[in-house]
Amino acid sequence: MSRVTNLKISLAHLTSRVKQTMVAILSVTFGISMYIFMNGFMTGVNDTQTDLAFSTLAHIHIYNDLPEDNTNLLQRNFGTDKLVNLRSAKVIQYTEGIKNSAKVIAAIEDNPAVTGITRQVNVNVFFRNGATKLNGILSGIDVKQESALFGTEQYITHGSLSNLEYRGDGVVLGTGLAQKLSLSLDDNVTVTTADGASRNFKIIGIIKTTIAGVDNSKAYVNISSARQLISKNKSYVTDIQVNVKNYNESLEVAAQLAPKVGYKVETWNESNGQLQAGNDLRDIIAIAVSLTILLVAGFGIFNIMNMTVNEKIKEIAILKAMGFDGSDIVQIFLVQSIIIGVVGGFVGIILGYIVSALVSYVPFRVATLDTLPMVYNARDYILAFIFGFITTFLAGYLPAKKASHVDPVEIIRG
Amino acid sequence: MREGIALSARSISKYFHVPETFQVLKDISFDVKKGEFLSLIGKSGSGKSTLLYLLSTMDTDYTGEIIINGECLTGLSQNKLAAFRNAHIGFVFQFHYLLPEFTALENVMLPALKLGRKSQEEIREDAFTNLKMLGLEAQALKQSNKLSGGQQQRVAIARALINQPAVIMGDEPTGNLDSKNTDIVFDIFRQLAVERGQTIIAVTHDDEFARKSDRILELGDGRLLN
Repeated sequence: MSRVTNLKISLAHLTSRVKQTMVAILSVTFGISMYIFMNGFMTGVNDTQTDLAFSTLAHIHIYNDLPEDNTNLLQRNFGTDKLVNLRSAKVIQYTEGIKNSAKVIAAIEDNPAVTGITRQVNVNVFFRNGATKLNGILSGIDVKQESALFGTEQYITHGSLSNLEYRGDGVVLGTGLAQKLSLSLDDNVTVTTADGASRNFKIIGIIKTTIAGVDNSKAYVNISSARQLISKNKSYVTDIQVNVKNYNESLEVAAQLAPKVGYKVETWNESNGQLQAGNDLRDIIAIAVSLTILLVAGFGIFNIMNMTVNEKIKEIAILKAMGFDGSDIVQIFLVQSIIIGVVGGFVGIILGYIVSALVSYVPFRVATLDTLPMVYNARDYILAFIFGFITTFLAGYLPAKKASHVDPVEIIRG
Repeated sequence: MREGIALSARSISKYFHVPETFQVLKDISFDVKKGEFLSLIGKSGSGKSTLLYLLSTMDTDYTGEIIINGECLTGLSQNKLAAFRNAHIGFVFQFHYLLPEFTALENVMLPALKLGRKSQEEIREDAFTNLKMLGLEAQALKQSNKLSGGQQQRVAIARALINQPAVIMGDEPTGNLDSKNTDIVFDIFRQLAVERGQTIIAVTHDDEFARKSDRILELGDGRLLN
């Protein structure tokens, strides 16, 4: 009963100064909608950035990293319980690439977290057209697997990627590379390896990934053609690219794969630390900005509630004289800020969604984007509400506590 | 507990420390009988209001003992005192101090809602009966800040009565009322004391008001003069 009474008094206070209540609600609304918008936008930017990066980068990259494996070959065979003395170790002959790829791939496929695997034969070559000679990478790919992993197909601007599958003489050139070589669809390009092998390919596609480093130096051929070019057997690959279910768990999966595979297992965040750093920094900025806004909103509420307490100080005194105790008074004022917080929170969630939706229509034609990226994450909406609630709770608690300490005698006697 | 005693003050002393230490009440002891209508008078600065606020349990900074309805209230926690005030003491102040957003009826209901012993309907009925007794039935549903000063003071009295407290305390309850309203308020107090056996303790400057009450306690320089 006393709770109901307190609530009634709270509501009377709120409705007796509608303007201030609205300002308080709006400040929470603004804080929460900004939180939602900032986080949605930053997550959108991060996802776009990551998607772009993963258009050529796999979550896990397996390759033969040369020097590392040659330091203690004996130890590997004798185990750790024997003392091995190996002096002046030198690499006299090393194996290039992964020779027994079928076995390695079988080991990777066993891992349930793996969603896609593709084999590549990457060769450093010279592309030549007449007098123009350019250094670059020729990537022999399994077309279907490659497309499944990287979505390579969607970056093709002319011709087709799928034709590579049955055209051993076909090549898909990066758009920058094609331009520099003055080549276009259906022209021929000469590819020369470091060992001097040379072969003509017909251009059956042009690709534009928007990553300049790739577009200016990479070309795709059928994996068999690449093997043929460097005279390797059928199961030879230089790189195995693996995608996992959640790219944030790449490190864990890599740790599971490493002992089974026996080659260098490298995750995307090891090889591209700047991507991870960029994502983290953007997240920090989004959280810092939105929490600052919420903090300012909190001060606004604190101010308004303080004013209310001062305005109603005689009423507080009389309530105390009538037998309302400290906790009743805290309740009366805390409930006001909680109502402000909850109403502001709900309106803020709606406004946040509307602002996000509007911004997601702003044209932004850079890279593969048409409009500004935006992500609608239920977690952001819930967190925004919780943060808003905590802020208003704290901002309301201090004035409420102050009100509960009002000495009725002092106020009533004047 | 001695029969028939509503309130006892035992050797009450109080000091003010600001701006300098000053003994405002000096060893005051007295009893008030049930159903007695007591006036506290004295020159301004004599400590009569200070004494009333000590008796009201709102001010706890004193030495001595205060017993109301057989219960010693000295040294109880603020929350216990608040609950005690709610159930056993009614207040009427010089300035009525109603909650302006609420109707007269709601203002009267507040202490009973806090006490929570009756259902909301019963409380509403009680409040309406009280207002009717004070001639305010027509104003019951008006917002309290729309009432005249005399009406507001009567609403405050109705509010003080709602929990049927043993003691009703007034700090110049007629202080800013005209003579007609003063008479009305006095008659209500008198009636409460006689008919319901409620004890009234009122601080007043109004000599006539005091003279008509059952007993007068006069304070001077922090001591009882009679």
